[in-house]
Amino acid sequence: MKADAPTRALPSPDTSRTQGNGSRSIGFFLRTVSSGYLLLLVALPLSAVLWVSLQDGPGTFWEDVTHPVAWAALQLTLVISVVAMVINTLMGTLTAWVLVRYTFPGKTVLNSLVDLPFAVPTLVTGIMLVALYGPQTWIGGHLEAFGISIIFAKPGILLALLMVTYPFVVRAVQPSLEQLDRAQEEAAYTIGANRRQTFRHVVLPEILPAVISGALLTFSRCIGEFGSVVIVAGNIPGRTLTAPVYVYSQIESDLPRSAAAVSVVLLAASILLLFLSGRLQRRPGEGREKPS
Amino acid sequence: MMKPEKPARTARRRPGEILAVGAVVLYAVLLLGIPLAAVLFGAFSEGFERFRTELLRPEAVSALRLTIQLAFVSAAINGCFGLIVAVTLARHRFSGRSLLNGLVDLPFGVSPVVAGLALLLLFGRGGWLENVVSAVGLRVVFDWTGLLLATVFVSLPFVIREVIPVLQQVGTAHEEAAYVLGAKPWQAFWWITLPAIRWAFVYGLILTLARSLGEFGAVLVVGGGIRGITQTATVYIYHSLDARNEVGAFSMALVLAVVTIAVFLGAEAIKRREERRRAGEGPTRQALR
Amino acid sequence: MNMDRLLFRRPRLRLCGRPLQAVSAGSLLLLLVFFAVACGTGGDGQEDTLTLAAYTTPREVYSQALIPRFQEHWRETTGRNVVFRDSYAGSGAQSRAVVGGFEADVVALSLAPDVDRIARAGLITHDWRAEAFGGMISRSVVVIAVREGNPLQIRDWDDLSRPGLKILTPDPRTSGGAMWNICALYGAALRGKVKGVAGDDPEAAANFLRQVLRNVTVMDKGARESLTNFERGIGDVALTYENEVLVARRADRPMDYVIPTSTLLIENPIAMVDVYVDRHGTRQVTEAFLDFVRSTESQLIFADFGLRPVEPTAAAQVTDRYSTPEDLWTIEYLGGWDRVIETMFAPEGLYPRLSEELLTSNEG
Repeated sequence: MKADAPTRALPSPDTSRTQGNGSRSIGFFLRTVSSGYLLLLVALPLSAVLWVSLQDGPGTFWEDVTHPVAWAALQLTLVISVVAMVINTLMGTLTAWVLVRYTFPGKTVLNSLVDLPFAVPTLVTGIMLVALYGPQTWIGGHLEAFGISIIFAKPGILLALLMVTYPFVVRAVQPSLEQLDRAQEEAAYTIGANRRQTFRHVVLPEILPAVISGALLTFSRCIGEFGSVVIVAGNIPGRTLTAPVYVYSQIESDLPRSAAAVSVVLLAASILLLFLSGRLQRRPGEGREKPS
Repeated sequence: MMKPEKPARTARRRPGEILAVGAVVLYAVLLLGIPLAAVLFGAFSEGFERFRTELLRPEAVSALRLTIQLAFVSAAINGCFGLIVAVTLARHRFSGRSLLNGLVDLPFGVSPVVAGLALLLLFGRGGWLENVVSAVGLRVVFDWTGLLLATVFVSLPFVIREVIPVLQQVGTAHEEAAYVLGAKPWQAFWWITLPAIRWAFVYGLILTLARSLGEFGAVLVVGGGIRGITQTATVYIYHSLDARNEVGAFSMALVLAVVTIAVFLGAEAIKRREERRRAGEGPTRQALR
Repeated sequence: MNMDRLLFRRPRLRLCGRPLQAVSAGSLLLLLVFFAVACGTGGDGQEDTLTLAAYTTPREVYSQALIPRFQEHWRETTGRNVVFRDSYAGSGAQSRAVVGGFEADVVALSLAPDVDRIARAGLITHDWRAEAFGGMISRSVVVIAVREGNPLQIRDWDDLSRPGLKILTPDPRTSGGAMWNICALYGAALRGKVKGVAGDDPEAAANFLRQVLRNVTVMDKGARESLTNFERGIGDVALTYENEVLVARRADRPMDYVIPTSTLLIENPIAMVDVYVDRHGTRQVTEAFLDFVRSTESQLIFADFGLRPVEPTAAAQVTDRYSTPEDLWTIEYLGGWDRVIETMFAPEGLYPRLSEELLTSNEG
C-alpha cells in the first residue's frame, strides 16, 4: 500500500477528442468547482497563516522565528527529524528488501505490521510509548536505573517519530524493488561482481530515487508530527520542545502571530520537500502494471 | 500492502540474509508490535467487563459517534469533490493546472496544529471569514463545523491521488469511442469513466475514512475538546488520561485502532482485487490503444 | 470493459453486479443513518444547555458530583433537563478560548486575572467580584507533592533548590496553577521564609526562583497534566494545588504532600459570561447553577474533593480536614494580580527573563 507515496506526476492530458456537445461548459464547470474547492479549502487557510505571520512586518516575523524558545524548538525538530529520517531510511530500505527478496515465516505478519502506523492515530502511538517506557513500567524502570530516560526526553520523541514514519520508506521502495529487472543483477554476477558490488552499482541506482523520495516524505512528516510528540515530550525549551508543540502552546497562549510565523517555516520546509519528492518519483512511463 | 514476489532460489539461506531478516523483524516488533500489545494489555488490564463498561459510557459513545460521523461526512465531501478535481486535473488542460495540482498535496505536508491554526485564524475572533460565517448563523471554532473543516482538510488528497493515476493510465480511448457512437458527456462519465476508476475511488475513500478517524491535532485546536460538542474519540482518549481513566483511554484507543485496521484491510482486499483484474485485462487494453 | 456498453440503451439499474452503485447507495444510506442518529440527539424544546469552561483541576468535582446533582435539582424544580457541555483545560488557555469564540455560559477558572481577561473583552458586563464571596467559589493552597513516604525528605521550599532534584510544575502561559506556584515560591522567599534566602530582597528571591526553575524537567500545559505525569513516575516532586493531590489520593494514586511553612492562599473565581448567556437565552439556568454551587451543600462537596470551601458554614464544618499553614498569605502581599502579572509574567517580566536565561544555559 502506498497511501502517502503515489505518483504526483501529471503529464499533459489528451484533450484532443473529449470536446463534444456542451463539453466546453462542462470543462468550465469542472475547472470552476475544482479551483473553488482547492482554493477555498487549502489555499485560503494557509494564506491566512502566512498573512498573520507577516501582519506586523517581516522584521517582527524574523523576531518571532528567532525568539530563543522558537529557535530552539525549530533546531530540535530539525535535528531529531534528520536522525529519524536516517534511521528509518536505512531500516525501511532493509525492510523493503527483506519483504521483496526473501521468504520466511511470519512474513505476512511483518507486512501488516509495517502498515500499522497508518491505521493507528498518532495520539495512540504516544500513549503506547508512555504505557511501555514510562518510568513505572518494567522497561522504563530498568532504563531509569541506568540513567536513561525515554519518556519526556529526546529518545521518546525519536521513538515516536520512528514509529509514525516507519512505513513511508518501506512502501516507497517496495514497488521500485519489485519492478527491478533481475536479469541485470544476474548479468552482473556472471561477469564476476560480488553481492555488494552488484547492490551498489546495479540495484542502488535503480531504487535510489524511491529511497530518497521516501526519505524526504519521512522528514516532512517528522517535522510536523504533533499527536504522538505532545504526549511523549516534555515541553522544556531547548531540551524537549518541538516546533509543532511550540506552535500549539503559542496558540493556547493567544499569540497567533508567533504561532503563524513558526508555522510558515514548517510549511515552507514541507512544500519544498514535497516538491523534491514529487520530482524524484516521476519516472518516464511509470504505470501500475506489473511486468509480465 | 504489495504481494511480495517469491524469489526463485534454493532454500539455502546465507548468513547475511538471516541477519537482515532478523534485524528487520526485531526492529518492527520492538517498534510497533510490543507497543500495540501494550495498548491491548492496558485496555483489558481490569478485565473484559471494565473494557465493556468504559466503551458504553455515554461520553465515550458520543465521542465515537462524533468521530465516525465526521469521518463519513468528510469522506463524502472529499469523495465528491475529489472526483471532480481528479477528472479536471487528469483530463483537462488549462492555465493554473500545476498550481492546483500542488495544492492537492499540501495537506500531506502540513502539521495538524498548523491546519488547526489556519482555521482558527480564518474563523475565530477577528478572522477574515468570521463575519461571513456568523451572518449565516454558523459557528465554526469550538463547534462541529470547525471539526468538519479540519477533517476535510487533512484527508483531502487521498481520493484525488488514487484516482488520477488510474484516469491517466486508462486513457481517453474508450470515452472517445463513446462520443463517436453518440454518447453525451455525462453518459460517457457514468458508464465508461466511473467503472474504470471505481476501485481506485473506493480505495481513496477508505484512506480518507481512516485518516479522518485518527485526526487529533487539528480537531483539538479548532474544537477545544468540549464534552458534548467537539470531543472526538481521539480527544476523548486524551482527556481520559487527564481524568486518570487509563483503562478508558486504552479501551477507546484499541477500538479506534481496530476500526481503522479493519477499514484498511478492506482497502487492501479491494486493491488486490483491482490489481488482479488489471493483470487479467492487460493484453486487452494494449489491443485497444 | 464490456463493449456492449458503447451502444447506449436505457440501462436497468441492478444493485448486485454493479459494485460502484452498490457502494454509493450503501454509503448514502449510512450517511443518512448517521445524520438521523446525530440529529436525533440534538436538543429539543424540553432541554436547556449549559456550557461550562473550567480549569483542569475541578474536573471530578464538577463532572462526577456537582453537575449530576444540579441536573437532578433542575429537573425537580423546573421539570426540564439540562445538558452540560463542559471543558477542562489550563486556566489561561481556557480564558483565551472564551475570548476567542468558545461560547461558555459559565467560567470557573483558577485565578481572577483569567476572568478579568474575559471581562475586558466585553463578554462579562456585570461586576463579577460583587457577587457572593467576592466572586470566588473555592480555595486551596500551594503544596509540594512528593513520593509516598517522602524518601527525599523534602521539608520546605529551600529543599527545592537542591542540585539535581527533578521538579514538575506546569507552564505559566497556559496554566493558572503554574502562576500560583511561581508566586508562592517567590513570595515565600521575599517574606524571608525560605532558609538561606534573605527576606525583603527581590534579588535574592529571584535568584532562589531561578535555582528552582533550573530543576524543572517537565512543564505540562495544565495542573492536572503535571500531576498525572508525576504519577507516572516522572520527577521527584511536583508543585501543585493541595486539592489536586487530594483528588489523586482519592483515586488511590500513591503520593504524599508537604505544606510549606509559608504558602499562598489560592482563590478560584467563578463567573457568568453575560454576552454568551444572553445569546443562548440561558440566563435563568446559569444563575440557578451559580446559586447551586455556592450553597452550603455544594461547598461541602467541594471539600469532599479536596478543595477548601469559601462558604463560611461549610468551611467551619471541615476545619478538621485541613491544616492551616504557619504563614498563609494572599496575592495581595505581592501587590495583587494586576501588579504581579505586570512584573512577573508580562513579556518583560521576571519569569520570561529567568526562562530565557535558563534556556541559553541549557544550550551552552
